[in-house]
Amino acid sequence: MFEISAFLIVAVSLIAFFVGRNRARLIGGNNASVLHSLPSYHGLYSGVCCFIAGASCLLLFGLLASYWIDFSLSNALLDDARQLPELQQERILSDARAIANNQIVSAALNERANEIRHSLAKTYSTWHSLRNWVVGGISFSLALLVFFTTNRQISQRFRARNRFERVVEAVLLISASIAVLTTIGIVFSLIGETVRFFSEIPLHKFLFGTHWSPLSGVFEGKINSESVGAIPLFAGTLLITFIAMIVAVPVGLMAAIYLSDYASNTTRAWAKPLLELLAGIPTVVYGFFAAITVAPLIRSLGESIGLNVASESALAAGVVMGIMIIPFISSLSDDVINAVPQSLRDGSYGLGATKAETIIKVILPAALPGIVSAVLLGISRAIGETMIVVMAAGQGANLTWSPLEAVTTVTVQIVALITGDTEADTAAGPAFALGFTLFCVTLMFNVIALRLVQKYRQRYD
Amino acid sequence: MGQSIVGYTAVVAVASSFALAGGAQAARDQINIVGSSTVFPFATAVAEKFGNKTKFKTPKIESTGSGGGLKLFCKGVGEVTPDITNASRRMKAKEWKKCQVAGVRDVIEFKIGFDGIVIGNAKSAVALNLTRAQIYMALHKGSKARLWSDVDPALPNTKIEVLGPPPTSGTRDAFEELVMQKGCAKAGAGDQKFCKKVEIRDDGAWVDSGENDNLVVSKLQANPNALGVFGFSFLDQNKSKIKGSKVGGTKPTFENIASGKYPVSRSLFFYVKKAHVGVIPGIKEYLAEWTANATFGGDGYLVDKGLIPLRAAGLKEAQAKAAELTVMTGLENLK
Amino acid sequence: MADVTGDGSGLTKSVHTSDEAHRRLRRRYNFEWRFKAIGMAAIALAAFALIALLSTVLGNAVGAMRETYITIPVQLDMEVIGVAADADRDAIRRGNFDGLVRKSLRRVVSSATSRSDKRALHKLVSDGAALSLRQAVMENPTMLGQTQSIALLASDDADLWIKGYGDKFELLPSSGTATPVVTGEQVEIVVESSAFQTILLTIKQSLRDAATVLRQQAVAQGRGAAVFEGRLKNTSLIGEPRRNIEASLTGYRTQVADLTAKADALTKRAEAPGGYGELTTELPSFFVRINGGVVKVERASGDTIVGRPILPLQLDQSAATGSWRLERLLTSEDGRRVNDQQAVWLEELRNSGMISRTINWNFLSSSNSREAEIAGVWGAVVGSFWTMLVTFLLAFPVGVMAAIYLEEFAPKNGITDFIEVNINNLAAVPSIVFGLLGLAVFISFFGVPRSTAMAGGIVLALMTLPTIIIASRAAIKAVPPSIREAALGVGASKIQTVSHHVLPLAMPGIMTGTIIGMAQALGETAPLLMIGMFAFIREIPTGITEPATALPVQIYQWSDFPERLFEMKTAAAIVVLLLFLITMNALAILLRRRFERRW
Repeated sequence: MFEISAFLIVAVSLIAFFVGRNRARLIGGNNASVLHSLPSYHGLYSGVCCFIAGASCLLLFGLLASYWIDFSLSNALLDDARQLPELQQERILSDARAIANNQIVSAALNERANEIRHSLAKTYSTWHSLRNWVVGGISFSLALLVFFTTNRQISQRFRARNRFERVVEAVLLISASIAVLTTIGIVFSLIGETVRFFSEIPLHKFLFGTHWSPLSGVFEGKINSESVGAIPLFAGTLLITFIAMIVAVPVGLMAAIYLSDYASNTTRAWAKPLLELLAGIPTVVYGFFAAITVAPLIRSLGESIGLNVASESALAAGVVMGIMIIPFISSLSDDVINAVPQSLRDGSYGLGATKAETIIKVILPAALPGIVSAVLLGISRAIGETMIVVMAAGQGANLTWSPLEAVTTVTVQIVALITGDTEADTAAGPAFALGFTLFCVTLMFNVIALRLVQKYRQRYD
Repeated sequence: MGQSIVGYTAVVAVASSFALAGGAQAARDQINIVGSSTVFPFATAVAEKFGNKTKFKTPKIESTGSGGGLKLFCKGVGEVTPDITNASRRMKAKEWKKCQVAGVRDVIEFKIGFDGIVIGNAKSAVALNLTRAQIYMALHKGSKARLWSDVDPALPNTKIEVLGPPPTSGTRDAFEELVMQKGCAKAGAGDQKFCKKVEIRDDGAWVDSGENDNLVVSKLQANPNALGVFGFSFLDQNKSKIKGSKVGGTKPTFENIASGKYPVSRSLFFYVKKAHVGVIPGIKEYLAEWTANATFGGDGYLVDKGLIPLRAAGLKEAQAKAAELTVMTGLENLK
Repeated sequence: MADVTGDGSGLTKSVHTSDEAHRRLRRRYNFEWRFKAIGMAAIALAAFALIALLSTVLGNAVGAMRETYITIPVQLDMEVIGVAADADRDAIRRGNFDGLVRKSLRRVVSSATSRSDKRALHKLVSDGAALSLRQAVMENPTMLGQTQSIALLASDDADLWIKGYGDKFELLPSSGTATPVVTGEQVEIVVESSAFQTILLTIKQSLRDAATVLRQQAVAQGRGAAVFEGRLKNTSLIGEPRRNIEASLTGYRTQVADLTAKADALTKRAEAPGGYGELTTELPSFFVRINGGVVKVERASGDTIVGRPILPLQLDQSAATGSWRLERLLTSEDGRRVNDQQAVWLEELRNSGMISRTINWNFLSSSNSREAEIAGVWGAVVGSFWTMLVTFLLAFPVGVMAAIYLEEFAPKNGITDFIEVNINNLAAVPSIVFGLLGLAVFISFFGVPRSTAMAGGIVLALMTLPTIIIASRAAIKAVPPSIREAALGVGASKIQTVSHHVLPLAMPGIMTGTIIGMAQALGETAPLLMIGMFAFIREIPTGITEPATALPVQIYQWSDFPERLFEMKTAAAIVVLLLFLITMNALAILLRRRFERRW
């Protein structure tokens, strides 16, 4: 029913478009320039108005009607089954809805409940089909009404284009604000579980506790506040991030410098796609690489010089993550290095400085804010990276600074908690709390990085 | 431009309304299974055979973990909820209550086999013979033992280092219950209440490691002094590289676990919503495939995948349940 | 300059020409050179990482490139299958093709008679063999009753063995005439030389190893004894507690004595000249190929072996030097996925030309499976396609419209700034957070079905949106203002200017950005794990609301499976994914090259 209404509204809108356009053409006659707007704008305006009116009516009114039905249904139930406990009443209500929609229901508790739910189901389906007819009919008539009114408005002086463009601008604005909605959605989705989690666990125990094992010794769903100290996770994440940056920053930066100031055109022609290729490789592939090649390699290297290296060492995950971030750093640094005005370079060369000196003494200081922001963005990326660490880092929350031992990260724990074997309600708390922390920390890095870039831009633009 | 925008909008609108329609109305004709990652390899094998043999679609099996699976399962009845959930542990009383409240009243419980929990080390290392009391002494929270010989002078004087599943894993739960709690009682460390709350030490002697992780194997090979805790099917797949230690004098072999001689094994389960049987096509046939002797019996194909079969009585019981769809009463001894 | 410094005619040296200046210059040039070299090294390092990564993937993928078939004559006996001659498709579907395949196999390898041997034999062939045979019969029922030569897909273990990932039969030196005597189940072979000495040596070495282990254990028990001896010496206890300590001490001492005695016995056996030894499954396997049969050695002395025939001997006579062979598999039977019988049968099948290897096209056309040899990527590829379709339909129009708004219409005010900051931040939000968003908002709140392309597509669309917006903005910004001014100058409205002039000119840039964003989305895994796409799905999805998985998720799933062949298939699936990504990126680069305009 909903689909038919929607389809009808789309059809009316299309008809409105064609009719409106034709009417405008007729009014314009042979000389289209007598019209304020082109015929197609008249058609578009009419069609879009029909669609917006019809569709929003269908959605809003339909939703309201559904709420109203639910509300009156529970009122009807109250008359009939007032004496039943509340939970059973709710059960009967949802069963009735399921029966009406021809869906699966479980066997009723008793004969009485069965009777009630079937009679309710009948009421429900009557009301429901009534709702469908009413809502569909009203929306459709509204669309028709808008069709006729807008169609009659069409005249030589009618500013259809301006009006249509205002609608388009509104649509564009809505599109742009989807990003804001997404952010709100993220905060909304994370905050519910997080708040519930922190209502049981004091914040400082989570932020400063040094023992992470949230699900061990969970009795009756109560999480032990002594075992949710996330410091080992933060430390592990930082350790891996640090190793990644040690690999990525020098290599990425030097690659960017070489490509922008030294490389011949031919070198650039193959080196740039190479870096782009590195950037395009999915993280799950890096994870496979880390687990299959790098981790065993590092372990056997360590053994050959007498070191005991864990198979899931932070070093392996960090190095591979560093490789992943190289192109990220290099392309961002490349941009800022290229943005340093040529005049600075020329001035330095004119004083007799070599290229290296120019780069180190002139260009890098000038580009420093941009480079720092690139590094910050790289760090934020490393912190949030999931697949590499899921496949190559450890599961155990060890508090250690040794890169040769296995550590775990925030993202690994989120995945482990969400897809683990323990009772899901208990696991969701720590998982979403970690997710929220992750979001806040990366957000902070991004904001700082973007601030830096903006300041830098102002200096040279 | 006018036409192109109109055309595009129309196409998207029509397409999305049809998509919505498809989502809302088309009856589900594919069984939807969620649950434990331990049962996952067995359930997928059964589902594949079922899909090949019958005209029904191959069920969708999602590996959500036992807890996640039961949460989805107990959300209610209806097409959008899963029909079956696999579990590497029994349903908890709390979960049962949740199911009841949400209207999932009739649940059929199937016990489908065992998974032995094995304590193993590298093939090249010394074979160990541990008792549960010794394991408890070595691994409980607060234990001061640094070397195995601190626990029992007769054990090798090597560092206690056990790579085991993380707390998010069902294997860990089972290990705590079957080894630590029992070991606690056997060592006479405290009364039943005390032993129920035993935790695994967290000072580095126990290292949480990914389960079913091929990396654990290489880790054990690299360090012959380290022990690993994992499921028997994993040992079976990697028997060229690792070997199981005796527990209480019994070797973790297929026969010993199947006969119950090997003390550390857990049962595997799956749960079915009776309300969905007959509505979602194929559930009954799927149950029949699961409980066929050629599937989960002593010579069944799941044995090749590492499942340890039930004894004859257990097989019979499961088959009877599949035929008669006997539901849980709530009087089972759920924890 | 040289002439000035050269003659030393008393001219004062300039500060730029002194020796020190030269040194300084050299130092500066050296530094310049080193700096450049470091830059090159950085590029080389990145290139090396890429090559190492790709070669890891390709090296592993090679193993999954081909698949092994065992071609044997199969008599499509209707009685075995359990169908009538005029059976319809449904009846054929229910037919017992597994049994048929097994029976045919047993006919070829007739020596497999015991139960365990039969099981081992059946394991050489994949479950998929019966399925494809059934498919063939369903398409062509006239096959029923005929005998045809059918290529049966080998199981993963057999496949890898044939490809040489297991062990190889190794020929050992043999001389002297060998005389086999068959008694019941066993064969005794006596040779007129010490050809079997190698076997005996292997066995004796293992005895020595076992003795060493026992001695280590004895030492450990000895430590226990020492501890209790110490306690006994220092204690002042009497009565029951003292007796307890004494009992423990005795226990430890007995253990030490027992273990030492056992170890000594083993050592004695190992050191004694000649004698018999048993080959256990933990030792290398030895085989004697004689008179057309193969005997697996179970016991050996220097010149005699006793064993079980895996392939029966055809003749009952002595074999001269050179007409019989001693072979070895160095890995123990315990350490292999293919046991001795299977290894011999496979060798035999190979020698009789029944084993063939073909390019594994099925990998591309079949969907997921628990059997490593059947598993393919098609289902995941289709799942990825649907997911990407949803992502594109949502992210592309919204992203482009948002970019147009921000570049062309947005007033400079707080709201616009807020939106911009938001978009830039979203671009850097970890992908797993989008997964949590999808789980909490779209699945739990809006009721989007789990594990579907629709859920995955929505989440990935939100994730890709910032990339598309940022790229589109850059492309729109790159269109010079003169174009806009000209359009506005001839009376076009702002919307007309944008849609008729700016957008078409910016389109190549927008498309490039979109393709790169889509490529990112195609490779994304973590958010999909949160919304239930980590699932076993064999049916190929036919729409966006059906259960689906995506290629990268499939890769992650396979990388977790223990079977060795799955590791190779993981790599092969990665190759497929990378091919898609490289194609998309190449397309983006091509678009940019072709349509990029410098104003």
